[in-house]
Amino acid sequence: MSVKVLLVDDSGLARRSTRRILESAGYSVVEAEDGLSALERYSIEKPDVVLLDLVMKGMYGLEVLEKLRQLDPGARVIVVTADVQTSSRDMVEAAGAAGFLCKPIEPAQILEMVERTTKKGVGWS
Amino acid sequence: MELTQVQQDALIELLNIGFGRAAASLSQLTGHRVLLEVPQVSVHPISDLSKSLQVIVSDQIASVHQIFSGPVAGDALLILDHTAAGMLKELLTDEPALPLKIDASGREVLTEVGNILLNACLGTFGNVLRVQVTFSVPQLNLETLNEVLQSLLINREGLRYALVVQAGFRVRDTELTGYLVIVLSVASLDRLIRSVEDWEQAQGRP
Repeated sequence: MSVKVLLVDDSGLARRSTRRILESAGYSVVEAEDGLSALERYSIEKPDVVLLDLVMKGMYGLEVLEKLRQLDPGARVIVVTADVQTSSRDMVEAAGAAGFLCKPIEPAQILEMVERTTKKGVGWS
Repeated sequence: MELTQVQQDALIELLNIGFGRAAASLSQLTGHRVLLEVPQVSVHPISDLSKSLQVIVSDQIASVHQIFSGPVAGDALLILDHTAAGMLKELLTDEPALPLKIDASGREVLTEVGNILLNACLGTFGNVLRVQVTFSVPQLNLETLNEVLQSLLINREGLRYALVVQAGFRVRDTELTGYLVIVLSVASLDRLIRSVEDWEQAQGRP
């Protein structure tokens, strides 16, 4: 069975381009365009990895990350954001994310991190 | 209100770093080299803001607006004319730009590109100055420059002067040009200058 990735981003462009990268590498992809639907999709789909944007309408990505980790302490979440600040990276790490990638993303970079996170499990990579 | 030469030099150096990061992101997205103009910094009374920006952009614009808050707070805008907005969509989606209107796919491209460029720029300022900046969700506006500026001033009665930072860019081998504009209140400008001065003092120290 293929590894399932939940993409959470309010940008349709970001979701489509990331989906293309992941599907071409054999991953199965489900999507959510805001924090609330991300929590819902997580409970239903039980994905292996979550790719999560930070700045979204409604619930901010950091809050989504915290709620996901409450829902499932084993949740593997990689934050993918345009926010390049070191302090944001530190906050995300402290909140239990498995990784942090800055947009625009390189295909090789995201595939490498998803693979590493899938193998390694919970914890900063 | 005027900046001293030393303050202006330090600010431009910081802007070069931030805009350089934004240009690298745009180059990565479009696959073309991006040429940057030297950033211009000026302080204007709010009432003159429209006049000062009309010199560089046409009235009908596509803009992506992000409010940023934290120790330094303000508004950041990516401004393009409609032709440039269409070109950007074409470069990123391989779909032809439609004349006269910016369609749903074009709006999506502009919003995400604006998000990436403005964050790259302001986030780099945050990193260099060691302050945490929080961003709002990017808003795409297809209005006149005047309407966009009016919307910046809603609920900002205390805003009397603004620091306008503008940096033009051109995507090489295309006619795509645009501007990044940052508007800061005087209070934020004071804090920014103090941070920039601290940063400048710290340069070259072990």
